[in-house]
Amino acid sequence: MTFGITPRRAAGVALTLAAGLLLTACASAEPSPSGSTDEPGEFVRGETLRLGILQEPLSWDPSQAHVGHLLQPYQAVYDTLIMREPDGTLSPMLATEWSYNEDLTELTLELRDDVTFSDGEAFDAEAVKVNVENFKAGNGRQAAQLADVEAVEVVDADTVVLELTQPNPALEYYLSQAAGLMGSPAAIATEGIATLPVGSGPYVMEAAGSVPGSQYVFTANESYWNPELVKFNRVEMKVLVDVTARVNALVSGQIDATIVDARTAGQVEAAGKTLSANQVDWTGLMLLDRDGTLAPALADVRVRQAINYALDRETMLEQVQLGAGTVTHQVFGPESGAYIDELDERYPYDPEKARELLDEAGYGDGFELTIPTFPGLESIVPLLTQQFADVGITLVAESVPPQNIVADIAGGKFPAAYFFLFQGEPWVAINQLISTEATYNAFDSMTPELQELIDEVRISGAESDDAAKKINEYVTEEAWFAPLYRLDQIYFYDPNTITSVPQTQQAVPSIYNYSPVQK
Amino acid sequence: MVSFTLRRLGAGVVLLIAISILTYSILFFSSANIARNLVGDQATEEQVALKEQQLGLDQPFLSRFADWFMSALSGDFGRSWFTSEPVAVAIANRLPITLTLVAVAILLTAIVSTLIGMLAAVKRGWMDRAVQVGAVIGYAAPGFVLAVLFVTLFAVQLRLVPPVSTISPGAGAAAWFTSLLLPVIALAINAVASSAQQLRSAIIKQLERDYVRTLRSRGIAEREILFRHVLRSAAPAGLTILSLQFIGMLGGAVIVEQIFALPGIGSLAVTATSAGDIPVVMGVVLFTVIIVIVVNLLVDLVNGWLNPKVRVS
Repeated sequence: MTFGITPRRAAGVALTLAAGLLLTACASAEPSPSGSTDEPGEFVRGETLRLGILQEPLSWDPSQAHVGHLLQPYQAVYDTLIMREPDGTLSPMLATEWSYNEDLTELTLELRDDVTFSDGEAFDAEAVKVNVENFKAGNGRQAAQLADVEAVEVVDADTVVLELTQPNPALEYYLSQAAGLMGSPAAIATEGIATLPVGSGPYVMEAAGSVPGSQYVFTANESYWNPELVKFNRVEMKVLVDVTARVNALVSGQIDATIVDARTAGQVEAAGKTLSANQVDWTGLMLLDRDGTLAPALADVRVRQAINYALDRETMLEQVQLGAGTVTHQVFGPESGAYIDELDERYPYDPEKARELLDEAGYGDGFELTIPTFPGLESIVPLLTQQFADVGITLVAESVPPQNIVADIAGGKFPAAYFFLFQGEPWVAINQLISTEATYNAFDSMTPELQELIDEVRISGAESDDAAKKINEYVTEEAWFAPLYRLDQIYFYDPNTITSVPQTQQAVPSIYNYSPVQK
Repeated sequence: MVSFTLRRLGAGVVLLIAISILTYSILFFSSANIARNLVGDQATEEQVALKEQQLGLDQPFLSRFADWFMSALSGDFGRSWFTSEPVAVAIANRLPITLTLVAVAILLTAIVSTLIGMLAAVKRGWMDRAVQVGAVIGYAAPGFVLAVLFVTLFAVQLRLVPPVSTISPGAGAAAWFTSLLLPVIALAINAVASSAQQLRSAIIKQLERDYVRTLRSRGIAEREILFRHVLRSAAPAGLTILSLQFIGMLGGAVIVEQIFALPGIGSLAVTATSAGDIPVVMGVVLFTVIIVIVVNLLVDLVNGWLNPKVRVS
């Protein structure tokens, strides 16, 4: 099994392209800048790429790397073994090809032999081994990505085998994410790596200009093995936690691109910036207490379905998000292989039906449900409370300090919770929401039937998407969740200076997706 | 004078230790979920437990505080849990920005409020009333509202200065000037309003004293009475007001720095506190307390120099 374009991916490419064209057409009356990298030979490297970022690395040690917003800074300085294209296709990077053995427990990677780290160390199979071991020992945020990797066998200088304890359908994807970031073996063992990254990436961090909490500065890696990916002489990432500060910086031209929110999008658009939106997270309720430990009513599937029917998703999307999103009834995203179109019509708004179901379940007189609330939910909680009240359920929102929220949900302190969750690859979502190891399966809910489906995903290799679809059907039908909508990630860039292509399942593009406007 | 200074410094050290213990215990009791937030929501319970062990979060209060205290005594304040930056470096990078912001704002406050207060006290009449009304308005407008207003008007609309700080290591004077201009004004307006008001009363009080009448009866010029005698006598009151303003401004800087994305101590304090970054919070608190102690001491010394009567106490 090597990289290749599956039909699903091909559809993804087409969709992304179509969406991109549509957005460009809507967003600006001026002619859009041409995709410069398409004409080799003519490309002129840009001067400085200035990005507004809102999260920064805990440490530059690749073992501490993260996904989403946080992948971008690591990508500037570290290459991944496998490259993930904007549409999600996996393509060669430090590894030129890769393949599994028959029972999917050994992944053999062929490596480039012309790559050196910025400290002069050579990249080879030994370096991969050191990095994998460092990642496994580092107890980082994504340590789970390599949990199934038991050992690394160095076959020769440019061949390495990852030996797995059991098949892992997302491993190739993980090698394009945190687990695939390769640091210099001489540097990652030292304390210095925490503040000064040493990788083989397209850029090198400039320590003197970088201040955590303020900005990170990178300069072009002149000896980079793939000059096409070095599109700017300099990259500046300015840490701007406050959305108003990001809007002001973008509108006044201090930065070239950043992420804003639905309420500020109008102002940014009016200033002539180009929207480059995609969807990464879903938001809604997790009906966690499926065995009825804290809230006996939730043990009845009819009650959980009733909650789904009680929600007027359209209205909430309009009022809370100003319509910037798409209503959904499932927790898997359209870019993941587990998505099923029809499921998004499973629970239309029908309070009458909700009341009937509650009645059948013996909760015709209603019941009380407690969820945690935290800053950011001010507008959604009153709407939820109202809609729950309409079918006879009393929603109690208990205030929880933001730093405690994940621990409280994961610790099973609440029978249900409203939250924002990443829609990743099927295996990622399963292990975040559904399996018994999942953080957000707080009460370890499981049925033999579901466990069988999960095991099937694990061992199905290329067909794992079909198995994941069955899981999606199962948890949607069983109403494990009550999703409301997928949120638009509202990313804007300045069309006079750069172009930017959205990256699937990432709120912010990968570092390779920006190009300077060619004059 | 020397023993006075030494006594004040001794009291400062006691205060420093007391505040450290207090802050550490508050942080200790709200630090239950830091490990979970560090490893993220995709980590297993085992990972969370391991992280707690790595950070020493599984240790009892006394041993954690003792560890921190002994390292701090030897000058090692640890590293940020959330950015890996050494705390001493983080503070050294950021303190100059906050101190410049507050010092320039206080200087501006001193000059402007003295002028206004003096004008109101001497001229009285409509000028006095205008100053009084202006002071109430200036005092009532919260600094952060003014800051947001300034950004929108002068930075985003008129493009006179950048809306977001351009101060970075090695940045020139121009970057410092344009980045600090609006924050300084936003910070100073409240302070000017209240200080001018209080200086006005202090000057009026002096002008009504007998010695002023005596000086006048001797034919000493009004200007000389004002600058050589009245102002000097009113100065201790003014200095005390300014020192209180200075400390208040350290608090105001927290919000103003956020709005202008200034990489100072204030914005560091906000991020570190909300994340539960104990090493950084402790460092910030420690250095802020030291600044407050030093400023108070300096004010007392200057007051003593201005007014010998204070020295005995």
